[in-house]
Amino acid sequence: MIRVAVVDDEPLARSGVIARLSACEDLVLAGEYADGPSALAGLAAQPADLAFIDVQMPGMNGLDVLAALAPAHRPLAILLTAHDSFALRAFALNTVDYLLKPVDDIRFAEALHRARQLLAWRRRDHGDAPEPQRPDAWLMRFSVRIGRRAVFIPAADVQWIEADGDYATLHVGARTYIVREPLHRLATRLDPAQFLRVHRSAIVDLAQVAELQPLTNRDAMLRLQDGTPLRVSRTYIDALLARLHDAGTPPR
Amino acid sequence: MTTGTPPTPRTTITPHARQLPPFWLPLLAGLPLAVCLVLMAAPSLGHGVATASRTVFLMAFVLWAIPLTLVQRRLWMRGTRLWVVVPTLLAATYLMTLVARVLNIGLQVAIAGPLPPDFSWWLVLRGIEGTWLTLIAFCAIHAVVNYYAALKQEQAQRLEAQSLARDAELRALRYQLQPHFLFNTLNAISALVAEQKGPEARQMLARLGDFLRATLDLGHAHEVSLAEELALTDAYLEIEKARLGDRLQLKWRVGPGLLGARVPYLLLQPLVENAIRHGIAPRRGSGRLEIEITGEAALHVRISNDLPAGTDLVSGTGGGRTEAVGLRNVGERLSRLYPAACDLHAGVRDDGRYHVAVSLPLRLDSGARA
Repeated sequence: MIRVAVVDDEPLARSGVIARLSACEDLVLAGEYADGPSALAGLAAQPADLAFIDVQMPGMNGLDVLAALAPAHRPLAILLTAHDSFALRAFALNTVDYLLKPVDDIRFAEALHRARQLLAWRRRDHGDAPEPQRPDAWLMRFSVRIGRRAVFIPAADVQWIEADGDYATLHVGARTYIVREPLHRLATRLDPAQFLRVHRSAIVDLAQVAELQPLTNRDAMLRLQDGTPLRVSRTYIDALLARLHDAGTPPR
Repeated sequence: MTTGTPPTPRTTITPHARQLPPFWLPLLAGLPLAVCLVLMAAPSLGHGVATASRTVFLMAFVLWAIPLTLVQRRLWMRGTRLWVVVPTLLAATYLMTLVARVLNIGLQVAIAGPLPPDFSWWLVLRGIEGTWLTLIAFCAIHAVVNYYAALKQEQAQRLEAQSLARDAELRALRYQLQPHFLFNTLNAISALVAEQKGPEARQMLARLGDFLRATLDLGHAHEVSLAEELALTDAYLEIEKARLGDRLQLKWRVGPGLLGARVPYLLLQPLVENAIRHGIAPRRGSGRLEIEITGEAALHVRISNDLPAGTDLVSGTGGGRTEAVGLRNVGERLSRLYPAACDLHAGVRDDGRYHVAVSLPLRLDSGARA
């Protein structure tokens, strides 16, 4: 079980997080705190593995809380913020991810996924947890239903994939196909050598990326070879840049 | 959406404050006079007393120039009237000339012995016009320098005032664009909540948050990079996609090397919003929205959309006045930002679709082409 603490000065914000957490069976609420000092005392007495922490709180902000905790008591943190201006300090403090308010369900699930993976790796390092699951083989083709007919689209032909609620839209040349699988699940099944998530609503074929222009808010805009502009959110930007820069080396 | 505090102008301008040119400027302008004095003295050089007296004249001019400049600057700063300034300066220069003359006589006595017995002190007052005139000429040059500096300052102030006025106009135009969209979206979210569609409502709220952040992140610039405007428009389109589902068929085509092009803030979003509100949203079936951005000599933006059945094809007004307001607003901002270098055409074409074509100067951010 993963012990989770929630720290936010607004009761509604806390209950929003807790309501989302209650859907997960592997999580247990370890504490709920309305301000920095009580969170400090609570987390020291009753340690948590993961904490959702609001950055902007009166008196003591979320980063101060994390910084004041002894490293042994410092949980993995998912920051909550309305408008991010805390820059890089967060990443020295066990921060896994941060969520912008109002919180997006998909991003929430993703942040949790990251935290679970990190915790699993840590436990494996201590030798008391099984290997995290990895797909045996990457998805090589999509099966798409057109009426009653099944059509198979090779993954190599897909330029980019767009989220569409619980479905995803494949963009293949000028045509689009709908797959009955949400984008965040597809993201874990596609070959990372070809596809990369760039936004909560888009996965792109790296070979299709023609240009990338940074934005003032640390996001970026990319342009595919067919002229489609796509947003890259800052969460994915480092991975994308790393992949684009070593794209010169051929895949193994 | 944008906070209500009016922008404070960066510099405050007090209308009658006189600005002084730097101290060295009038002295530099007076340098040719000193050169003239040297040249005029050249023929009499080597004649003992004459050389000495000419040197004294020159030194007197050079040394008097500094206090004279200070006096004249003080008068200028106080805004003293001309009929006071002229006699004051005439008197001051005359006095300075007299002092120089007396010094000169003293020098002659030191070099050539005592004064001749027939020396009359009236002679002191004669033959001093040369020095006096030189100092007066220097004052005149100084006055010209001051007037020129004032003229320059006035021009700069006028330009600044013009740019502030344009800034205010652009701001006023910009604010008309946003609120109705915000209220429509809030209404849609409220409807989702009423229908107990929690996840959809949360998704919409997250997207609205994204869009608001995108508009706030861009601050108060009138121009942004095309990439910024695309990101903003995309954040807006995500909301519309959630509302319209597959009724909105979107096709983007952005030409190479244009992401860094400068465009007016909120150029695309209102045009795309028009296309959706009056073209796609009222349709029963799906509708196609195409956005094409190309750049050769100028930047061209073409947006076309299907229209709802029964649209008056002659006037092309599917939605009436609001559409005209949004379009006119973009047009007015364009013509203020790029007078005589922009173009906006809108209307229904033969294909039965509504087309908006905008062109504006193509300017790229330095280092934008990767």
